[in-house]
Amino acid sequence: MIDFLLNFSQATGIYAFMNSPWGWPIAESIHFFGLCLLIGTVGLFDLRMMGFANEITLSELHRLIPIGVAGYLLNVITGTMFLSTAPDQYLYNPAVQSKLFFMLIAGINMLFFYATTAADVKSGAGASPVILRAKMMAGISLACWCAVIVCGRLITYYRPPYHWCLWCLSTVSSRSN
Amino acid sequence: MRESGVAFFSSLTLHSLAMAFVVGINFAVALRLVGIAPRLEISALCRFYAIHWYAAALIFISGAALLLAYPAKALTNPVFYIKLCAVVIGLLISKRIQSTFLNKPKISIDSASIKLAYISIALWIITLTAGRFLAYTHSILLASRFY
Repeated sequence: MIDFLLNFSQATGIYAFMNSPWGWPIAESIHFFGLCLLIGTVGLFDLRMMGFANEITLSELHRLIPIGVAGYLLNVITGTMFLSTAPDQYLYNPAVQSKLFFMLIAGINMLFFYATTAADVKSGAGASPVILRAKMMAGISLACWCAVIVCGRLITYYRPPYHWCLWCLSTVSSRSN
Repeated sequence: MRESGVAFFSSLTLHSLAMAFVVGINFAVALRLVGIAPRLEISALCRFYAIHWYAAALIFISGAALLLAYPAKALTNPVFYIKLCAVVIGLLISKRIQSTFLNKPKISIDSASIKLAYISIALWIITLTAGRFLAYTHSILLASRFY
């Protein structure tokens, strides 16, 4: 897996760019820009569903969501650049695993929302009340994206992460035995 | 701050979270002002500034904590001052947009507000970029190197 990612990174020129003097911070800046677009669109939509600023029509606020999707794509592209350039630093890092877990939960939550609830929510008028199920989905979504930001900070800050990563403890004890 | 892993990490995380909300809300309002989602009520969208100002306060509190941890690292780096200026001017523009549009559903968007929105977007991109580059551009980490 590591070899595959490194070969991909080198073949596409990502590795050379990321190892240039400003490649890594440029990619980080774009990554955080994408996250801000996500919070500014999906995050505000979640807050509105949870009952904040309830004079806003949800269907109109939903028109900002494609901007959030663009932000998410920026995150996927730059995230792939980080992962493929230094796979050994990311694949086994529990903060990355936690981040991917929260992204997965946010993704499943979003699919469930669009499959079951979105039509009802978007058909409501200006200050119409949002059903409890939609509020819960909005809470899960917002919590997941906040957790993704926290895990993103954890990736570079704590290494080794044994004092917060419960599933790493077994690895530590097996190594010491 | 420097020696407590939890305190430093908490400040760093809160700074990132608060920044994401401040920049995100400013982007949303600016995008609406430049013409995206034209039927979205700008006066109602400005209600999110209530959250924005709490997050902005958190940016300054966590930023001050991070500055206390490594004062020489930031204060000797010109990028820090670029970030600080961009944040302050960006927040002044937020205040101006909020006072122009909040609770004024009938008001139309003039060209001055559209210009402010573009400046706001540029300033917040400068803030994010400077924030990331701070970690890579410092030449001095601790003041102790001077003693």
